[in-house]
Amino acid sequence: MRDGQSSDLPGSDLAKTVRNFFIVAIAYYLGAEIAFLVGTLSDKIFAPFWPPNVVLFCALVLTPPRQWWIYILAVLPAHIAAELRIGMPATQLLVAFVTNCSVAAINAFALQWLKVESPWFGNIRKATAYVFVTAFVGPALCAFGGAFVQILGGGAIEDYGLYWARWYASNALGSLTLGPIALICLEKIPFSLVNPVRRRLEALLIATVLALTCIVAFQEVPAIATGYVPALLYLPLPIIVWAAVRFGAKGASGAIMVVSLMLIWRTLNGPSLFVVGSAEANVFAMQLFLIGLSTPILLLGSAIEETRHAETATREREERISFAAASSSVGLWQYEIATGTFWATDYCRTLFGLPSGEAVNLDHLLSRIHPNDYRVASAAFRSAIARAVPLEIEFRVQGMNDGIHWIGARAQPVLDEDGEPTAMTGAFGDVTSRKMAEADADMQRQEIAHLMRVSMLGELSGGLAHELTQPLTAILSNAQAGKILLSGGKKNLEEIGNIFDDIITEDGRAGEVIHRLRGLLRKGENKYEAIDMNELIGSTLRLLHSELIDRRIAVSDEKAVDLPATKGDPIQLQQILINLFMNAMDAMDGVAPARRVISVSTVMTNEGGVEVRISDCGTGLPPSQEQHVFQPFFTTKKRGLGLGLPICASIMKLHGGTLSLQNNVSEGATAIFRLPPAGV
Amino acid sequence: MREAGFTTFLVDDDPAVLKAITRLLNAAGYKTKSFSSPREFLSAHDPSIPGCAIIDLVMSELDGLHLQQALIERGSERPIIFLTGKGDVSTSVRAMKAGAVDFLMKPVKREALFSAVLRAAKVDALSRQKRDESKSIGDRLATLTHREREVLEYVIAGRLNKQIAASIGTVEKTVKVHRGRMMAKLGVRSVADLVRLADKAGITPAYVSG
Repeated sequence: MRDGQSSDLPGSDLAKTVRNFFIVAIAYYLGAEIAFLVGTLSDKIFAPFWPPNVVLFCALVLTPPRQWWIYILAVLPAHIAAELRIGMPATQLLVAFVTNCSVAAINAFALQWLKVESPWFGNIRKATAYVFVTAFVGPALCAFGGAFVQILGGGAIEDYGLYWARWYASNALGSLTLGPIALICLEKIPFSLVNPVRRRLEALLIATVLALTCIVAFQEVPAIATGYVPALLYLPLPIIVWAAVRFGAKGASGAIMVVSLMLIWRTLNGPSLFVVGSAEANVFAMQLFLIGLSTPILLLGSAIEETRHAETATREREERISFAAASSSVGLWQYEIATGTFWATDYCRTLFGLPSGEAVNLDHLLSRIHPNDYRVASAAFRSAIARAVPLEIEFRVQGMNDGIHWIGARAQPVLDEDGEPTAMTGAFGDVTSRKMAEADADMQRQEIAHLMRVSMLGELSGGLAHELTQPLTAILSNAQAGKILLSGGKKNLEEIGNIFDDIITEDGRAGEVIHRLRGLLRKGENKYEAIDMNELIGSTLRLLHSELIDRRIAVSDEKAVDLPATKGDPIQLQQILINLFMNAMDAMDGVAPARRVISVSTVMTNEGGVEVRISDCGTGLPPSQEQHVFQPFFTTKKRGLGLGLPICASIMKLHGGTLSLQNNVSEGATAIFRLPPAGV
Repeated sequence: MREAGFTTFLVDDDPAVLKAITRLLNAAGYKTKSFSSPREFLSAHDPSIPGCAIIDLVMSELDGLHLQQALIERGSERPIIFLTGKGDVSTSVRAMKAGAVDFLMKPVKREALFSAVLRAAKVDALSRQKRDESKSIGDRLATLTHREREVLEYVIAGRLNKQIAASIGTVEKTVKVHRGRMMAKLGVRSVADLVRLADKAGITPAYVSG
């Protein structure tokens, strides 16, 4: 049985089913033979221990109920052959078959219904269910039918209760002694318990010692007379416990089987340790003893199995985490608050450019942080540890011999059951490549922002040229007037002086325009400085002055008097302003000139930042597309690139601000952007 | 060349430019009057003063072309020189079609400005002369009686006295008297002169069928 059925019974294909059919039939027959070999009672009918039922139960519990008929059919001839050999009459034989089948079916069905499945004795719940069903409820119910077998064989009806008890005990004992070991051996990992060699030898040693103990204990006939029976009976117990502790459910079930077989054989074939009365009564006492012994041992074995499983799972999880941490370039660390001890994985040393093997502490690691980041990063660390709050920070570290690395650090407090922090635990990761990609993306964003500024200024070129033409016109006219005055007879030196003053003023005006244009056309690093938003709006409107006049657009502004300063890159913020003003202008192309008004207002936000609103009275946004305007390449203009607003939004994000666009209640749309206070 | 009292009216909403061009024209001896607001210029406009207007095309209050239109609507024939910062062909065509003398790009060179002003002065002088002439003709026509006016219309239509007499229901002799008085009042000696005068005054000949 053990060697033959190494795979699951429910074969998916016909060949497997046919093979299992014969295996079950043969095993059933051999089980009956073993029962007869171990010994039956005087009537040759009743076996104190009946393996065939266990064989059928195993076959059924491993197959879905719709296939059960196959195995019931398989064991019928085996049953007939076995029982006829001992001369059982046909009626008796059939009733025995029906009760045997029903106990196997009830047990199998109940276990399947309770969802008890491989590993069968992996935890205490399954083991309890198994014992409860197969050793108590199942046989107890079927014994009502089984008791008739002996009555049919000539037993007295008055002894029905006795027969019931015998039938019950015989089946319960089979379930407890043979069932577990059979099911465990039918699992796919039958020999894992005897690996490695050391374990194999230990198993062998336990089996030998157990067998010897049993022989010594159960053979000690004089003990019967001296009343040492209970002591002798429990002699194998330490060995059984040893097996259960060392080998879990497998050890427990194996030991139970060995003890049971030896005790049954001894009881049937020699002077019994159980001297109650008749041979039947002696056997019954022995059965009860074995049931009583097996049940707790089996449960102990599964409890140990469960614990060991949990331990293995925990250890595997820890190993997986360590492995994942090592392979994903993460260094783990922990800081015990009570003791101030600091523990870190070896990879932390690599990350911080420390030679491996050297003892590390937090100061050690922090001292490797780049001087530019040291102050902020170490302060963040110390404060997070001191207050036991989560930490997330990125900083640079001077690598051992390969330049600067970016390290990302995260830390969490570890809380005890009372919610009190006991430690800080965290991880370091090398985020250099991500930082590089971010820098690349930032460069590209800057490039695009610059291109957008250039193309925007291209669109504005007419108006911008006019802004330069005005001062140049004044300068030229002044200079020419001066020349005429100088060539005349009477020289008005005062007027000539005024002319020079005006020329200087106008040159300054032209210079300012050029300066602003150069700023917008320049490509370069962002610089952050304090910004007076009202002033920036004013200078932007001056730049757009001619364009606004040319497009006959009036501007009404409502600037907050006490507007706080904000912080940002003046060029990029001006780019946003120009872009929003141009959008507003474009939106009003179809509006009658007299009604073309752009309103711009500034207010202080609740957080002390700055809010700017730019409204037009143009066409507004198409209602369904309000949310699309910040998507790249979305445009409502005929010649738009669809990059203006996405760039503006990304600039705002970089400044820690927000940009939104909404339709006005009456007409047109309003762009709103908010910037945080300068101090943040 | 310049008429007495010839004034250049400057309109530009950029005070610096306005001041500089005023200064330039003053240095060249022109009398100037400067306005930084086109509406102010319009309300203060006196067509009787000889002169020309130099107007910036791009102004926030009222742009150059609209100002030109407003002047035309008021019957002003003030010659206009436009100054502009950008060379926009369609705008310049519209300005010239509406009678602008010139369309100058900023920054404007002295020579270009002065020659434009000179041309404007000529245009202004010519139009004033024409206006004076048509005014005197009008005065003289106003002295004619109804009959004399009737006769005038028939004469310039090439009718003979006899035909005129028949048309207005009188005798040839009476027509001759009317004709003589009419010619005298208008100060013309020949029918050719009379026709030219009537043409200038826009009098249509009385065409009679048959």
